[in-house]
Amino acid sequence: MDPSSGARSIVVQVEGMTCSSCVQTIEQHIGELNGVHVIKVSLDEKSATIVYNPKEQTPQSLQEAIEDMGFDAVLGNTNSQS
Amino acid sequence: MPKHEFFVDMTCEGCLNAVTRVLNKLGDVQFEIDLPNKKVSIDSTHSVDTLLDTLKKTGKNTSYLGEK
Repeated sequence: MDPSSGARSIVVQVEGMTCSSCVQTIEQHIGELNGVHVIKVSLDEKSATIVYNPKEQTPQSLQEAIEDMGFDAVLGNTNSQS
Repeated sequence: MPKHEFFVDMTCEGCLNAVTRVLNKLGDVQFEIDLPNKKVSIDSTHSVDTLLDTLKKTGKNTSYLGEK
């Protein structure tokens, strides 16, 4: 990811996923949101790593988007430069 | 009150829990989930459109089957 684009990445702990189809729906749904560049969901680690544009999304808005889908989302480490 | 039946493409317990959560969040709903047949029957004063939109939030294929 080009750092000059201002993209940030966060790790969100996601509880409630039990199979790969849960993973896929989250990846698809969140991946379609404006400002989301990359999303990688790990079933083993129960986490989602999201690279996003901070102008269009915030960690909170991403967390809400996952919770809206019916999963528990807790913000983990942030790698933001701010 | 009519019961509305929806098809929701759930494949596992996690999907079922997700549907349960979004419906509980909406509130004012009584529902039964039939995982093997991928059906959700809902008893609610909300309109079919509201219920359908809520179910679609889970990101799964959803359609309205009709009144039961």
